[in-house]
Amino acid sequence: MKGDQLTTWSINEIFAEILRVWTTQLLTLRTLEHLYMFAVALFFSVLAGVLIGVLTYRNPRFADPIFNGLNIVETIPDVALLVLLLPVFGIGKGPTIVASILYSILPIARNTYTGLSNVPGQYLEIAEAMGLTRREILFEVRFPLSLPLIAGGIRIAVVFTMGVVTLGGLIAAGGLGAALQNGIQLYDMGTILVTGTWVGILAVFLDGAAGAIEHILQVRYGKWS
Amino acid sequence: MVLTAELLQATLEHLVLTYTALIAGILVAIPLIFLSLYSAGLASIIMRFSNLFQAVPSFAVVAVVVPLIGIGFMPAVIAIMLRVLLPIIKNTYIGLFNVDPALIESSKGIGLTDFQILRNVRLPNAYPAIFAGIKFAAILANSIAVLTALIGGGGLGSMIFEGFTNFNTAKVLAGVLPVIGIALFLDFSFSKIERWLTPEYLRK
Amino acid sequence: MISRKLFERIKFLRLENVTKRYGENFAVRNLNLEIQGGEVLILIGKSGSGKTTALRMMNRLIEPDSGSISINGVDISKFDPILLRRNIGYVIQNIGLLPHLRVSGNIGLIPKLEGWKDERIREAVRDLLNFVSLPPQIFMDRYPHELSGGQQQRVGLARAMVMNPPLFLMDEPFGALDSLLRAQLQDEFYRIKRELGRTIVFVTHDINEAFRLGDRIAIIDNAEVVQVGTPQELIFSPATELVAEIVDSKRKYRHIDALKVKDLAQPLDKRYILDPCLSAASALDHMSAEGLEIALVFKSPGSAGRVGLSDVMKTASSGKSLEEALKPLPLFSPETSLLEALLRLKANGESMGLVLEDDKPEKVLFSDRILQNLV
Repeated sequence: MKGDQLTTWSINEIFAEILRVWTTQLLTLRTLEHLYMFAVALFFSVLAGVLIGVLTYRNPRFADPIFNGLNIVETIPDVALLVLLLPVFGIGKGPTIVASILYSILPIARNTYTGLSNVPGQYLEIAEAMGLTRREILFEVRFPLSLPLIAGGIRIAVVFTMGVVTLGGLIAAGGLGAALQNGIQLYDMGTILVTGTWVGILAVFLDGAAGAIEHILQVRYGKWS
Repeated sequence: MVLTAELLQATLEHLVLTYTALIAGILVAIPLIFLSLYSAGLASIIMRFSNLFQAVPSFAVVAVVVPLIGIGFMPAVIAIMLRVLLPIIKNTYIGLFNVDPALIESSKGIGLTDFQILRNVRLPNAYPAIFAGIKFAAILANSIAVLTALIGGGGLGSMIFEGFTNFNTAKVLAGVLPVIGIALFLDFSFSKIERWLTPEYLRK
Repeated sequence: MISRKLFERIKFLRLENVTKRYGENFAVRNLNLEIQGGEVLILIGKSGSGKTTALRMMNRLIEPDSGSISINGVDISKFDPILLRRNIGYVIQNIGLLPHLRVSGNIGLIPKLEGWKDERIREAVRDLLNFVSLPPQIFMDRYPHELSGGQQQRVGLARAMVMNPPLFLMDEPFGALDSLLRAQLQDEFYRIKRELGRTIVFVTHDINEAFRLGDRIAIIDNAEVVQVGTPQELIFSPATELVAEIVDSKRKYRHIDALKVKDLAQPLDKRYILDPCLSAASALDHMSAEGLEIALVFKSPGSAGRVGLSDVMKTASSGKSLEEALKPLPLFSPETSLLEALLRLKANGESMGLVLEDDKPEKVLFSDRILQNLV
C-alpha cells in the first residue's frame, strides 16, 4: 500500500498486507539475522560486563576511572558510536555487534559491581566467622545475593542491544532495521507499520522476559533487601 | 568552503529540532504530571504502559511516525517527543513522591494544604530528579534527532546518511563529530546546572 | 579444602594481656582471662565494654594489637585463621542464616566446602535438626524467611555444631527473641550444654541469663576484666561496687514484701494455650506450624501444665499421650503476694507460673522478671 493516508481496512485485508510485507521484505530472514546479532551481542556483553563488575569489585581503585570511561560511551548517541566504528570494522553485522556490546557493558558491569559490594555486612561477617575463604565468600554468598541486581542490569542491556541492532539496518547489517529502512525509502506504509510493529513486539517481549527472570531472582535471592 | 556552510546549516537544523522537541516534551509532560498527581491509579497504569513502550527501538518509533503522521519537521519533533516524554514524567513523579514521609507528616501537622505541600516541600525536593530527567531527555533527543533525518527532519543526521551513501567519510565525520560534541556538552552543562540547583542538604 | 582437626578437646583458652585500640579508645585493655575446658564462661558487661571484641579475637575476626591468645598452650596466631574458624562454632544475635540457602544448605555449607559426600551431609543435617528439636521432614527444605525467630536460632546452633567443634563462641544468641521464647531457649540450652560437653564462651548483657546458664561469669567493664567467678562467688564476694551493682548483691529483696503477683504479671498470648484433648502428634504439628517453642495446657482452675517443643517431639515419637509430657505449672491468683509466689516457684524448681483471673488463664509470671524488676 503506498501513499501516506491510512484508509479503514478489514481484517482480511490486514492479514493480506502483513503477508505481502512479510514475503517481499524477507522478514523471516531478517528476524533471524536480527535475533542472531542480538544473541551474540548480548552474550558477550554479559560476559564482559560481569567480568568487569567482578574486577572493579576486587580492585575498587579502578572503579572510578572505568565507570567514568564507560559513562562517556553511554552519553555518545548509539548512532554516532555505530558510525565511528565503521572505519575500524567496516559495515554490516560486525560493527553493529561491537557497538551493541560496548553500549550494553555499562549497565551490567555497574550493577554487578554494586551488587557484589553491597551485600549486607551481617552475612559477610557470619560467612567469615564460619571459616569461608575470600573466594568462597564471593561465590557462595556475594554472587547469589547479587543475582537480582545483575539481572536488572542485563534487562537494561537487552533494551539497548535491541536498539542498536535495529540501527544496524542502516549500515547494511541486515536484520529488521533493513526492512524498516526499505519501507521508508520506498515510502511503503505497510512495510513500515508491519515491520515496526513486529520489532516492537519482539523488543517488548524480550524486555518482559528479562523482567520476569529478574522478578523470579528477586523473589528467590532478594530477600535481604 | 561549501562543507562549512552546509555544516553550520545542518548543525543549526539539528539544534532547532532537538530543542523544539525537548521543550515540546516538557510542555506536554506538565499536564500529564498533574494528571498523575490527582490519580495515583491512573498514573501507575500510564507508567506501566510507557515503560513497556520505551523498550521499542527508537528507529522503529521514528519509522512508524511516517504512516501515522507523515514526514518533515513536525513528525520529526513528534517522534522525538514520544521518546522523551517518559523519562521526564517518570523522573518528575519520582522526585515529587520520594520525599521523606516524616517531612510530609510534619508539614501536614503544621497546617499546610496539599497544594502548599506540593509547592513548598515536594517541589524543592524534586529539582534534582526533574533536572536529571531533562538531562537524560536532552541527550536522548539529540540522539534521535540524527535518526529523524531519515524522515525528513534534516539536520546533522542527513549529512551523516548522505556521506554514508556516497562513501564520503569526511562528510560522515563532519556530521557525527558535532553530534557527539553536543551530547557531551549537554551532559556536562546539565550536570553543572543540576549541582547548582541541588540544595545543600540533598547533596550526597 | 579439607581441614584437619586442630584440637580434640580444649584444655584451656588463655587471653594474656590482650589489648586492642581504635584510635584513642581502648576496646580491650590488658585483658587477662582463662577459660577452662568444658565450662560455660559468660562474658557480661554493658554495650561497649569490650566483651564482643574479646570474643571476636578468639576466632581472629579481630586481631589484638598486643598480648596473646592461646589454646592448649599454642598461640592461635600461628594457625591459619580459616582453619581455626572451621574448628570453632560461632553463633550471633542476628543469627545470620544465608537467605538464599535452605536450612539444609545453611547447615551443610561448610561440609560442602570441605568436600563431604552429599549423603553424609544430609545425614548430618538430619541428626542436627533432631538434636535442636526441629523435625527434619518439615524443616530441612525451608528457607530462612519461612522460619520464626526461635526456629532460625535453632538452625544457627545446628550450623555451628556441624563440624563438631570443641569450642563455641556465642554473641548474645538469644538477644533478638521475645521473653517467652528466650526463656524457653535458655532452658533448652541448659539441657544441650550438658549433652554437648564442650567449652562455650557466651556473651550477654543480661545478668539473669548469665546466672542461669554460666558455670563462671567474667564481668567486663571499660575494656578490662573486673572479676571472674561462679555466680555464688560474685554475689557473696563482689570485688568492686560495680560488681555488686550488676549482680544486685544488696538490693535484691528490698521491695519484695510490698508487691503482689498482679504487679508483675505479663499478658499471655492465647496462641500458646493448647487444647488439653490434643494428641501429642497434633500438638507437635500445631507448634511447628505456629513457630511455638513452648505451649501451655490449662485443664481446670486446679491444674495446668507446660510442655516444651523437645518434650512434645519425644512424646510424639514414643506414642505416649500429651498428658505424660506435661510439666506441672504453678497457678496463682493476682492477689497472691510476690514473695509467696517466688518461694512457690523456687520450691517447684519452675521459672514460670500461670495467673488466673476469674478462673481463666490470663497472664504469666516469670521468676527472672521478678528479680529484674526489683532494682
